[in-house]
Amino acid sequence: MVVETLPPLMVALPLLTATVLAAAGRVLPRLVIDAVSLLTCLLVFAGSVALLVATGSRRVVSWLGGYSPEHGVSVGVVFVVDRVGAGLAALVAVLVTAALTYTWRYFEEVESYFHALILLFLVGMVGFVLTGDLFNAFVFFELMGAVAYALTGYKIEEAKPLQGALNFAVINSLGAYCALLGIGLVYGRTGELGFAQVQRALAGHHTDWLVLLAATLVFTGFLVKGAAVPFHFWLADAHAVAPSPVCVLFSGVMVELGIYGVARTASTAFSSALPAERFRPVLMVAGVLTAVIGAVMCQAQSHLKRLLAFSTVGHVGVFLVALGAFEPAAVGGLVVYVLGHAAVKGALFLCTGILLNTRGSVDEAQLHGRGRDLPLTRVCFLAGGLALAALPPFGTGLGETLSEEGLSHAGFSWPSALFVGVSALTGGAVLRAGMRVFVGMGIPPSIQGETSVQGEISVHGETRGVDENRETEGAVRSVPATMLAPVVALLAGGLALGLLPGLAASAQDAAQQLLDSAGYAAAALDGIRAVPPPTPGAETWSLSGLLFDMVSTLLALLIAVTAVYSDRLPRLLRGIVHAVRLPLGALRSTHSGHLGDYVAWLLVGVTLLAIGIAVS
Amino acid sequence: MSPRARLVLFAAVTPVFAVLFFLAARGLPSFGSDFHPYGDRAVAVAIEQRATDNVVSSVNFDQRAVDTLGEEFILFGSVIGTLVLLRPSPEERQVGQRSAGRVLPTTRLAGYLLLPVSVLVGLYVIAHGQLSPGGGFQGGVVLATGWHLLYVAGRYLAMRRAAPPTVLEITESLGAAAFAAVGLAGLGLGGAFLANVLPTGSRGELLSGGTVPLLNAAVGVEVAAAVVLLLAAFLEQAVVLRRVDYQDQR
Repeated sequence: MVVETLPPLMVALPLLTATVLAAAGRVLPRLVIDAVSLLTCLLVFAGSVALLVATGSRRVVSWLGGYSPEHGVSVGVVFVVDRVGAGLAALVAVLVTAALTYTWRYFEEVESYFHALILLFLVGMVGFVLTGDLFNAFVFFELMGAVAYALTGYKIEEAKPLQGALNFAVINSLGAYCALLGIGLVYGRTGELGFAQVQRALAGHHTDWLVLLAATLVFTGFLVKGAAVPFHFWLADAHAVAPSPVCVLFSGVMVELGIYGVARTASTAFSSALPAERFRPVLMVAGVLTAVIGAVMCQAQSHLKRLLAFSTVGHVGVFLVALGAFEPAAVGGLVVYVLGHAAVKGALFLCTGILLNTRGSVDEAQLHGRGRDLPLTRVCFLAGGLALAALPPFGTGLGETLSEEGLSHAGFSWPSALFVGVSALTGGAVLRAGMRVFVGMGIPPSIQGETSVQGEISVHGETRGVDENRETEGAVRSVPATMLAPVVALLAGGLALGLLPGLAASAQDAAQQLLDSAGYAAAALDGIRAVPPPTPGAETWSLSGLLFDMVSTLLALLIAVTAVYSDRLPRLLRGIVHAVRLPLGALRSTHSGHLGDYVAWLLVGVTLLAIGIAVS
Repeated sequence: MSPRARLVLFAAVTPVFAVLFFLAARGLPSFGSDFHPYGDRAVAVAIEQRATDNVVSSVNFDQRAVDTLGEEFILFGSVIGTLVLLRPSPEERQVGQRSAGRVLPTTRLAGYLLLPVSVLVGLYVIAHGQLSPGGGFQGGVVLATGWHLLYVAGRYLAMRRAAPPTVLEITESLGAAAFAAVGLAGLGLGGAFLANVLPTGSRGELLSGGTVPLLNAAVGVEVAAAVVLLLAAFLEQAVVLRRVDYQDQR
């Protein structure tokens, strides 16, 4: 089979399966539904592996409808697959497979609708990473969104999921309108929609407000999905209420696709009008803000899903900083980091799901010591915490050091401190929760709060995950193998990523392809598909990198132990901890859950982004 | 944030954004200019190569058909999502079918008279998508309106009998699947996904444009079933389902 037929097949096949499941789901036995969905995922995975192999030497270009360009001009839509696209498609397929395996016994009462929605979600994400067209990317982006809102509100028995889904839907739709407005401006100027075509058409124009605002608006759409500050508010609300296997897909890859969108459009469509240096300051400033706010808010949570969600925000900040360099080495590190983070964060969310099922709560205080008799889950959760703190040889650790080194080669040494800080704070928060829940360390904190109108228990204005509805009918007595296997597999995968020889080099080649604007356009429009030869001497683990990773892991352990035994701290230290409470409370109160607040912040974000890109 | 703080923040940034957007919009080609690089190419392809008089349909269902495939599945996914969110929750029970209430005889008559008209118009609009404004999306919605005239005429049960949810789900899925299947046929016969592999016919004929009428029909079926399904789910919430505690109070 010609490899060029694979990208459209990877979109069409899951669509067809989804229609079959929606039509025949009522009569098909559950086993068949699960098996068919899993098989579809595995076929998509096989397709992306074939694309990964092929993209080692060339970009895979498919003109849909057969409208291949003549003299560089076409009326059709093109899929252009390079190594990053193929790799992300593979990641999507792996995570969906993990989520579906986990769901096998998770929602006992699940209907085939859930599987159909998950497969449509898969198509949205896969299509988004394969396409080479601005408007087509928007369509897949919207497919991803529409399905994600429904998946977030899946547990209709409660009011909370609907509120979380509503916040998610409104903010993301506003982001999508921004993106559409930006695409409209680009089309008005150039009459083109393909990434490559826009790049060439914009090359002949001077860069004015139209181009600046178009880039701003398109980026806004992606950064809302990517949960960059101040567009990040929806993320914790949605993660807190969405079913755990869905959170795996949200945190593991959907949010990262927002960053991919920025990287792709910055390095193709807008690259001729606005060189990457113009985006560097805004991306780095947004990244630092996102990293700091995410990591600090993560520390302040005791609702386990919100904790993990804010840790994702912190890591998104790190990813944005790494992308901001627009250097192959740093972006290569980013690619490894995204893969490692997806594996680890996925495993952690699934562990939380197991807690929710067996103990009926996701609140750190309420669960104190109640996870002691879940031996395997305990090991996985604590290992996940260490991996999040960048413990070598996990993929997260490798990704962190690679991007740090890439950044410092490009002349940015300050991000190392930021990266270590985010790893330590987010890993520390997870370890703290793990020590309390699974080991029973420290004194059980008291839960005294008032129940608000929405049925949420809030303590000092903090949302808690007390007495959540289980996602299965009744408590699961013993944890089924289908729920534990994906956890173990994801963690093992996260570990393997750090040990795979050649992964670092391959990721750097991928980054090189991603940033190669001229090569992308030539592949799409001129039929010149060869990719730049791999650069020799891509590094893997280095001594200084190992050192940084060890520092962040030790810091995380220190933070966790300090938090668990905070009652035994000397008075002076306790005073400091108390003093931090006040600004923390202010930060927390901005995350109000009020949709109007979020919309106001979104508008602030768009305006600042536009000004930032304009002045740099 | 307090409402006042929110308003202040909003009022502070909105004018700035408005000014920037105004500056950007000034960079657009002026109204009525003859700069249409994509339009010129799309018209040429639609008229000269594909014999599709309705150029918009040619763009939507042929030249950029994959966008429409995505849009169709956004609708498909949204309907499934809505069905999931509107499914009866454990606290909800079906209450006995209440009578349709009072419907004016004139309303009922108008409903019955308009029913065949709207079905006919819907089919016409779907079938002529390649020739004149309209097509699967528009025609499908008109078709769905026909079913709802039954509801307006006070025949909720007749409406449900005419289109039971299971049948609608299967119809909707078939319509959606047909689009993807035509795409795959293009891949098999024409070498590219969604390639227009059927003979194009000649301009102005009912059967012209190759796969365009076929895809319009697929979308028409999908949209009609989807809209009926969607409204049926809402009507069921409004007419048939009651929260248990609410029922007890009565």
